[in-house]
Amino acid sequence: MKRILTATTALAMALPSITVAQVKELGAGEGEVSIVAWPGYIERGETDKAYDWVTKFEEKTGCKVSIKTANTSDEMVALMNEGGFDLVTASGDASLRLVAGKRVQPVNIDLIPSWKNIDDRLKDAPWHTVDGVHYGVPYQWGPNVLAYNKDVFKDAPPKSWSVVFEEQTLPDGKSNKGRVQAYDGPIYIADAALYLMAHKPDLGIKSPYELNEDQYKAALDLLRGQRALVGRYWHDAMIQVDDFKNEGVAASSSWPFQVGLLASEKFPIGSVVPEEGATGWADTTMMAVDAPHPNCSYMWMEHTLSSNLQSDLSVWFGANPVVPAACEDKSGMQTKEGCAANGMGDFEKIHFWTTPTAKCSTGDCVPYYRWVSDYIAVIGGR
Amino acid sequence: MDDVSLTIAEGEFFAMLGPSGSGKTTCLRLISGFEKPTSGVVRIFGEDMGAVPPNQRQVNTVFQDYALFPHMNVRDNVSYGPMVRGVDRRTRLAEAERLLALVHLDGFGDRKPAQLSGGQRQRVALARALINRPRVLLLDEPLGALDLKLREAMQDELKKLQRELGITFVFVTHDQGEALSMADRVAVFSQGRIAQVGPAAEIYARPANRFVADFVGSSNILPPLMAAAFGAPGAWASLRPEALRIVPAEGARIRGRVTGARYLGAGTRLAVAVSGHSGKEEAEIAVLVPAAQMVPSEGAMVGIDWDTGAVHPMEPA
Amino acid sequence: MSDLHASLPARGLWDRLTALFWRRPGLLVGVLIAAPLLWLGVVYVGSLIALLVQSFYSIDEFSGVVQREFTLKTYAELLRPANADIILRTVTMAAAVTVASAILAFPIAYYAARFAKGRWKAAFYLGIMLPLWSSYLVKVYAWKMILSKEGIISWAANGIGAGAVLDALLALPGIGGNSLSTSYIGTFLVFVYVWLPYMILPMQASLERVPQSMLEASADLGAGGLRTLWSVILPLALPGVIAGSIFTFSLTLGDYIIPQIIGNSANFIGMAVYQLQGTAGNIPLAAAFAVVPIVIMLVYLGIARKLGAFDAL
Repeated sequence: MKRILTATTALAMALPSITVAQVKELGAGEGEVSIVAWPGYIERGETDKAYDWVTKFEEKTGCKVSIKTANTSDEMVALMNEGGFDLVTASGDASLRLVAGKRVQPVNIDLIPSWKNIDDRLKDAPWHTVDGVHYGVPYQWGPNVLAYNKDVFKDAPPKSWSVVFEEQTLPDGKSNKGRVQAYDGPIYIADAALYLMAHKPDLGIKSPYELNEDQYKAALDLLRGQRALVGRYWHDAMIQVDDFKNEGVAASSSWPFQVGLLASEKFPIGSVVPEEGATGWADTTMMAVDAPHPNCSYMWMEHTLSSNLQSDLSVWFGANPVVPAACEDKSGMQTKEGCAANGMGDFEKIHFWTTPTAKCSTGDCVPYYRWVSDYIAVIGGR
Repeated sequence: MDDVSLTIAEGEFFAMLGPSGSGKTTCLRLISGFEKPTSGVVRIFGEDMGAVPPNQRQVNTVFQDYALFPHMNVRDNVSYGPMVRGVDRRTRLAEAERLLALVHLDGFGDRKPAQLSGGQRQRVALARALINRPRVLLLDEPLGALDLKLREAMQDELKKLQRELGITFVFVTHDQGEALSMADRVAVFSQGRIAQVGPAAEIYARPANRFVADFVGSSNILPPLMAAAFGAPGAWASLRPEALRIVPAEGARIRGRVTGARYLGAGTRLAVAVSGHSGKEEAEIAVLVPAAQMVPSEGAMVGIDWDTGAVHPMEPA
Repeated sequence: MSDLHASLPARGLWDRLTALFWRRPGLLVGVLIAAPLLWLGVVYVGSLIALLVQSFYSIDEFSGVVQREFTLKTYAELLRPANADIILRTVTMAAAVTVASAILAFPIAYYAARFAKGRWKAAFYLGIMLPLWSSYLVKVYAWKMILSKEGIISWAANGIGAGAVLDALLALPGIGGNSLSTSYIGTFLVFVYVWLPYMILPMQASLERVPQSMLEASADLGAGGLRTLWSVILPLALPGVIAGSIFTFSLTLGDYIIPQIIGNSANFIGMAVYQLQGTAGNIPLAAAFAVVPIVIMLVYLGIARKLGAFDAL
């Protein structure tokens, strides 16, 4: 009996059976709202005057916004467990943990008039919707693109992730050995699985985040081969930017953020979502179960959808707005072309990050903690 | 140091005496080679040492703080010299034992310097310096850190050792008693110069100048006018307290009033205020009264008598 | 009688307290050290014990849930080839960095201890300490630039026609790589740069304590410079060398920033701990990894003690 119990994932065990009460109607603002966010997610014009989506909100609602930045999903979960915060911009690998841990409350979408403007593809996304209940408001999303050096690839952008997975001669006539990078995080195993999904269909991979032992092993083998090609694995965006400039990196999985930064420095950089598709991330604004300022929280959530935030944030971060109109409505600086460059049209090809768990839709999967130790081994040359 | 010219004979026990800062240690370091002369020459057995580094001179030193290597035991300390010369282990350890026996430290070979008393360390330093069979042994205040009794015992022992080995010992000290009791000859240093060189007895009995007279022993130093009263007109003179006698005031050559007395065990040292011929100049003369004699009380008028030869005229400076 | 009593000043609480402490000196010491002791006990020892306890838990292979039952399973996991690699890699790097630092530091420390005087001494301290004043991260990023494929070192090497030497160096199996910045050689260079002051300062302090007369005694007994260095100076300076090596060795063992930025991304112990406790939630294995440097340092200190490195303390 005990064996069966422990065999169930923490996630499955902790899923709420009773829905926590949600806010029924809004009152006046409490004068402040505190948000846990990724660095660069909530700008008030202090980094760059042109990027400010806080000041106007504060003027309009009287809710003073205070921001606590967090650098990892774990830090976010830890901060929310501590309590005292109203909102958090949680990624897919944190959002369900927060729901399972009952740290966030369901959101009453009737109190958010702009909900209707949200991209239909995101309204019921599984990383914030559990049993038909919404636990947050989508914030923004982006793909992990294949960035490449235009000097190397000339006018023929790479079509496949194979340039980073298989040894080959690049269009400039030199091998890709030592000139590609891969993401320095266990979640990158999913990128390998995604590649295998297209190239080894007989493995039967349905989702790159749900791998059985055989599929998992195949992905690791692919990554071991990749180790010989990779000079350095990246996890810090600024280091990758530097590596493109100073280490002669020809191609790598990357974020639109780095691509945009390099392009703004007139570096010959390009990016594509290759034919296999790509992994990606999607963040959600979630509300703490004991949020001290619920009214201001709701006002902020509405603000994230209805102001210049979506448009400017997507430019600032090189990501995509969750309100499609933000690409064209000139509420901020975003343009149709900008959205296209950030991968707005590639949504169907994106497999968003979720935490791999032992219990999955296909039965038993390899859990995330093994991804971690095995990916460490792969990078260590095992 | 300035204008020091010194010749030390082979097999001699030579002392360099002087207050601190007088240049005696510098002179020693010139011989060992740790200092280089800005001008002038150091010769050892006639050979110019100008280009010879310390490790190639046949000279060894017993350092003031002994400079024993704290990380080595006594045996390794003593056999350091032969080890450096490449003598095989067995031979050099046997040699070390022999020298330890010489300085009466048989069986102490395994101890660390920190486990030894001051006197024992001193002997180890001696053995370590002697193992190289130096032709000259330099000793830099070797007994300074020892207590009185031990110091006297070591003085005798050093003297004996030197006679047995026949090596030239050059010895630096600020203790005039030590210098006089051990050395064949003594050089008295003052302010970077040599004030006097000569046999110990001569230095004591006939100081060449006021400095030597003052530094060696405890002479009465008589300015010229006072010296005239003692029968040596025209120059400064020295007069040893033990060369003076107390006699009845009546008919004495010089009279004075006792102003103080200090009991020394072997005798009593009296301070007597005397006047010169003219009665103008006054001086306080020290007189040593042997233990057997009666000591006059303070304030008493006494006479002073002396052997004419005891008044020794000298240079003023 | 009563006058006598009246002449004594009234004893206030403070006076009586002072008197109490005077009668029982242990009490005062107790009061004074209670707070730091408590801090030390709770924060240092407490967290160490928590770490140790965690390392004896295990993670359920199936669900990824930490099982709070004592087992040695997690330690056995350390011996898995991938994990053993990490430990071996880290220890090898730490040892190499320590040896190189000692060799580099000695002449500098020796000069500073024996020859530098006055202004030069001040300049020496400034030169050694100055790098410590700037941010560690800034230094590491600067080195990333210097060592990169298009950085100043390869530029200079190519300029003086030594490009082939650099390429040959980078072609070395095991420690080579695509560029200095993505090879173990680069990691090693940056470690040595960053920790060198921690080797120089204690070394210099211990060299300064070697009395001049020891060196003179050695020369006096016929030893040349090299012999004196080997038989007298080095043994006497050993406590400083050991102290410095404890710094460089343990700092390298625990660092997780440098190998993350410079090198080929292969894990070091610190990085493994960071990843395992963070994203993976495998606290037991992270704790077991964290115990490894502690054990290594204890062994190291034990050996150093045997060698007599602490005799002079």
